[in-house]
Amino acid sequence: MKLPLIDFIWRTRGELRLDPPLSADEAFSRIDPLFQTAGTTYGVDGDTLTYAKRNPGAQDKLATFTRGRLQVEQRGQSAVMRYDLSSTALLLCFLAPLLFLAFAQLAVTINAWEKTDVAATEATAKAKDEDKDKAKPVPKLNPVDEFLGAPPPEDPNKKKDKKKDEGRHSPTRAYVLAGLFFAIYLVGRWLEPWLIRRRLRTALAGE
Amino acid sequence: MSGVQVGKRIIGAESPVTVGWENIGRVEGGPIKQMFFTYFQPAVLFGLLAFWYYAPNEWALASIGIAVGLGFKVFLLGLEWVNPRYRSWQLTWKEFATDVFYVGLGYTILRMADSYIGDGAMVEAVQGAFDWDKFAWFTDLPLLVQALLISMIFDFGQYWMHRGMHNWYPLWLTHAPHHYITQLNINKGAVGNPVELFLIGLGIGGFFDFLPRAFLLAGAIGMAVGTYQHINVRFNTPAWWRFIFNTTEHHSVHHSRDYEATRSNYSGTWIIWDRIFGTCVDGEAELLGMEGGRRMDIGETMVYPFVEGYKSAKAAVARRLGGGTQPPQLEPAE
Repeated sequence: MKLPLIDFIWRTRGELRLDPPLSADEAFSRIDPLFQTAGTTYGVDGDTLTYAKRNPGAQDKLATFTRGRLQVEQRGQSAVMRYDLSSTALLLCFLAPLLFLAFAQLAVTINAWEKTDVAATEATAKAKDEDKDKAKPVPKLNPVDEFLGAPPPEDPNKKKDKKKDEGRHSPTRAYVLAGLFFAIYLVGRWLEPWLIRRRLRTALAGE
Repeated sequence: MSGVQVGKRIIGAESPVTVGWENIGRVEGGPIKQMFFTYFQPAVLFGLLAFWYYAPNEWALASIGIAVGLGFKVFLLGLEWVNPRYRSWQLTWKEFATDVFYVGLGYTILRMADSYIGDGAMVEAVQGAFDWDKFAWFTDLPLLVQALLISMIFDFGQYWMHRGMHNWYPLWLTHAPHHYITQLNINKGAVGNPVELFLIGLGIGGFFDFLPRAFLLAGAIGMAVGTYQHINVRFNTPAWWRFIFNTTEHHSVHHSRDYEATRSNYSGTWIIWDRIFGTCVDGEAELLGMEGGRRMDIGETMVYPFVEGYKSAKAAVARRLGGGTQPPQLEPAE
């Protein structure tokens, strides 16, 4: 399936000059160790290598890009390796903010739903609260702590400025995580193609 | 591999495990680096205890505790980069993103669910049913004693829940995905099936009344000790610390690919629970995981207990009804 603009989200393409020029066999044998890992299947068809990794290990050098095609092209006296790799991890990371935004929306919805519930029983709850307030003893610090200078606990009977009723669940964390995942995606979209290019170049140089 | 005898058990016969403090790796580098990685852990613990002990009431809030915890984690991520325990555990972008996903679940949807079915809700229900008062005398104890009791009581519960998970198949099904991690990093504690995370979070602390400050102090102990369970940093941890507290070394033994080694070091914070109940193994391991180090992805982690549970239940029913040969049941890999 060709999605030339959208697939930029999860794909990376590029080419590396093979200097000195290498045949396809030679180039593929140099990068072969990258495919000698658990869960990897690959095949060479002439000048093209296609691979797929199922659930690669944490330290697999190609862990992020689980499918790809590498092609060696002879251009006169020189040669290049073109690569086209795709990453499920990058795509899922790109979509992760949506999941956390959904969690935030769920929190808001539950809060609104519970608010109507609370309103119905507010009168009785208020009366109960007042009773409770009266009954609360003032906690005291242990003499040891008093001697060491720890601040005394707050009087629970003192009326605090009641916060606005924000509900049982705060959506803030989910919003923060949505933002965090977007940031992680941006870093990954830049870092991972850079790292893979470096790894391929190092392997091809035979270092 | 011959393994090493610890008590009545042979540790490290199936996969390499280093046993004994005298055999584990040490921080390499100059005197300042040595000093930093020797005294960092106690300095942070005592610093945090002093902070929460003396912080004015308007600072002594759970939200500030969470902020301190997050800042601490970011700092520890930096330490993993500077002084890793094993290069083979180095954090990659994909591992980091995966770990944050699990942490994110814990902070959002699981937290929401927990407010209805977690230990807080259960304690409330039990107290409501029997009209018991809380243990009010608890608040009269010195703050640090309260904090130690909260921390140790909670960890005692965790110890037995964790040990139960390694010894009873239905509980093991929930815990198994966590044992598929192949390296330790700061957020790996959150990696696992949500059912397990819910179970391990259950505590009986809610039955006790305590001062909010004591709760924050207990949280500080948990943070300044428990966080090191899953970390890829080489420390020269002081001997007294290793004797009473859990460490990344202990926990790597627990996560080792060696079956006998995984049946040890169950506690979260207080390794003395393991010493008391005879399950402590002092040492460390580099090769971690299950099935030869197969990494379990997020999808499988989410459904594993249910899929495996269904398979096992189906097999058990077939066995009862006199069915054919059954595949061997998955052994709890403690």
